[in-house]
This record gives sequence, C-alpha cells and structure tokens, in this order.
Amino acid sequence: MKKRMFIPVLSFSLLVSLQSRAGEFHVDKKQENEVKFISDAPLENFEGVTDHIDGYVYWEGDDMTSSSAVYFEVDLNTLDTGIGLRNRHMRENYLETDRYPQTSFKGKIARTTQGTNDTLLVSAEGNMFIHGVERPLVVEAKLIPKGSGYRIVSRFYVKLSDFEIEIPSIMFYKIDENMDIRLDFYIEKVNGAE
Amino acid sequence: MSIALLHRMLTGFIILILSFDGYGQNISWQREEPASPELELFHSPHAINLPTAETMQKGDFEFEISHRFIPPVSEGSQALFGFDGPANIRFGLGYAVSNLTVITLGRTNVSDSWELNVKYKAVQLDDFILPTLITIAGGGVWNTDVFDRSKGDSRNFQYYTQVIFNTLIENKLGIGFAPAYLYNSALYTEEIKYTITMGNYLQYYVSPNWSLLLEWIPTFAGWRDSYNTVSFGLEIETGGHFFKIIGTNNTVLNTSQYMAGSDRKFSAKNIRLGFMITRLL
Repeated sequence: MKKRMFIPVLSFSLLVSLQSRAGEFHVDKKQENEVKFISDAPLENFEGVTDHIDGYVYWEGDDMTSSSAVYFEVDLNTLDTGIGLRNRHMRENYLETDRYPQTSFKGKIARTTQGTNDTLLVSAEGNMFIHGVERPLVVEAKLIPKGSGYRIVSRFYVKLSDFEIEIPSIMFYKIDENMDIRLDFYIEKVNGAE
Repeated sequence: MSIALLHRMLTGFIILILSFDGYGQNISWQREEPASPELELFHSPHAINLPTAETMQKGDFEFEISHRFIPPVSEGSQALFGFDGPANIRFGLGYAVSNLTVITLGRTNVSDSWELNVKYKAVQLDDFILPTLITIAGGGVWNTDVFDRSKGDSRNFQYYTQVIFNTLIENKLGIGFAPAYLYNSALYTEEIKYTITMGNYLQYYVSPNWSLLLEWIPTFAGWRDSYNTVSFGLEIETGGHFFKIIGTNNTVLNTSQYMAGSDRKFSAKNIRLGFMITRLL
C-alpha cells in the first residue's frame, strides 16, 4: 500500500517542481563553470579546460520533453591545456578555431527521470558541431536544483575522426582518439521568462 | 493589395519566423562576443640569435640549451663537421610572469657570462595592414671571467635594449626587425664602447612543424668586431619543443656577445654549426 502511494506522490512533486521551473534558462556566467576535454592516451594525459560555456535550456509546462530546446556552445579559443604552445597547436593545427571558433550542441530534451535528492536525469538528443562537422549525439546529464536554476553535470565522448580532426603524429603528442568531455556548469532562469 | 504592402507583410513574416528557433520557441538568449586570443605570429620566442616578439603563456617555463661548435664545417669528416667540439654552450631558463612578460636568466661559458633579460609584448595590431607585434626587451650581462680583471669590476657589466617588430604574411613568411643598443660592447678596450645594430630575420614556415630561418645583424653605429653576424637554420617544432640547427659565422651566444659582431667573415670556409633546443614546461 505504501509503495502504491509513493509513486503518485513522487510524480506530483516532480510535476509541481517542473511547473514552477519551466521557462528559459541561460548559463550563469557568474558561477564556476567548467568544461574539460580530456585525452587519456597511454603515457601522456592532458586536459583542455575552459569556463567559456554559454547557451540555454527551454521548456514549457510540466513536461520537459514536449516543447523543449537545448543549446550550448563552448569557445574553443579559450581552451587551456596548461602550456601556451600546445594551446596554439590545438587552435591552429587541429581545431582550426579561426574558422570554427566554437563547438556547440543543439537539440531537445528526449527523456527525464527523477534521480535522488531532487535531481533530474535528463537525456538530450540533438547534433554536436565540432570543426565544421555536425553529427547526431545523445547527451546524458544530471540536473541538480540550485536557487532559481540548476547545476548541470554531464560526461560524454566524441570520436575525433568523426569530426575530421586529425590525430597529431609528428607533433609528438599522444592524443586519445576518443575525447572525454566533462561539463559542470550552472544555468539560471531568465527574468521575465515564463 | 499593393505590392509594397505585400512586401512589408512578407518581410514581417520572415522576421517573425527567424525570431523563433528550430523548435518553435521564442528564445531570448543571444551570443556574446567571443574571446580573442593574444596575437601570435612567429611560433618560437627566438629566431636564431635574435628574439622574436613572442612571449609565452603566463606560468610557462622555457628551458634552453644551445651549442655553437668551434671547428668549422670545412674541417670535414675528420672533425665530424665541427661536432667533435669544443663548443660554446648556453643554458637558459625563462618564466612568463604574465601573457605579455617573460624573464629569462641565461649563462654561457664564454667569459662565464650571466644574462638577465626581460621581454614585454607591448603592441598587438591584428587589424593593421599586416598583423604586427612590437615587443621591447632589455637586459644586463655580467661577465664573471674576464682576463686580468676582478669578477665585480664595473667594466664586466654590459647592458642592452632591443625593440622587436614582427609581422607574418599568409601564415607562411615571418619578418622580424630588431634594432638594438648595447652599452660596453667591447670588454677589453680602454674606453667604454657602444654598439647599435639593426638586426633582422626571415622565417619561412614550410609546414606547421618545419621552417627555414635567415638572420643578419648588421652594425649600424659604434664598435664592432671584424664582421657582422650572419646565420641560417632549420627549425623543427614539436609538442613543447623547438629544435634549431644552425649555420653561422659567430660562435658566441649571449645577447651582448652576438651583437658585438664576429671575428670571422661569413663564408663557406667559416661556417660553424650550432643548435638550440627549447622545451616549454
């Protein structure tokens, strides 16, 4: 009997929570946002880190999936691998940031699941744009309520060759073909939005 | 309905459509101006002897080891084209205190001389006729082993300043011009001498990793050894290294030394080999 009661109560609380939060959310640049591109090749690991992430999440009503939009972009010119020369090689020789200064994901929310402690597990489907190449991608993220917005934590992999990014050979870099991308950033509700 | 009215309605409809995103929502988010990185032209902070206008990223260290082999290439295989040595050697350690400022301490075995150099990227012109960097540098050299003179003698100290102009054409041809002034350029003369040089260099990037270098440091005014320093080389760039293989008529390494000229004419008979390896840490 208790179990039967629990499911409607949980659904109702989730519905109330989402209804109160529906609207447009932008990346909160005042927070400590972090995007990491991690190459975990044998003998040599390195990370490219930036806090220059921007974009929005939007949904209407109590169903995050019915009318939603997700867009995030990262300024690749700000990627810091810890060594200036390596940053320059990444920008000029591989990511070609003079032509493609940003990487972005655009899609919509496909599924949501209630996690523990008010968190939401969200699956977004859309297209990833890197190095002038667009590929479909499904991104899983955890949304943790924070004030009028959320903290978003996500991790996914992209294969560099899918985006026509050459793996350096002569440069003596050891780079993993599969780049581990980790995001930890905040969104806040836009004033005046529904 | 007039054509003008139809045109206005159509334009309004298109603007309305464009104000919605691909999923039908009216999104208020707008992209901000993206960050622009520091202007960087030459790949390395060094040409051959002369500096380029490049600095490093704040917090980067650069370790340098350079050799100039004293036997000339013309001695042939018997002296392994000079690699048998002996050689003049310089070690250097640079640190970027900011994205624009690098401090370097170097030492060479020629006169056991120590050099402290400060380099500041002062002007970045991205939208000029050609992208241009102007960097100012200055430093002091302490020669601690000068014949018949105590270490601390004031004549053992030399000071210099350089202004470095760089541009890069089509990401292929780097051009550098580095006028410089050197105080106390001749350590052994009775009177204190000065030297003004008009150093210049070209670097052609054959690929992102390989480039060719040519450098000429003519003396414009003041004291000079017998000949101007002329050098050429090949640069190989890897993840955090620059390797330079050099041919030159000069075998000294610190700034106050190469600015003062060479005792050998630049000719096939007098070419000496050298190298410079820098590693970013």
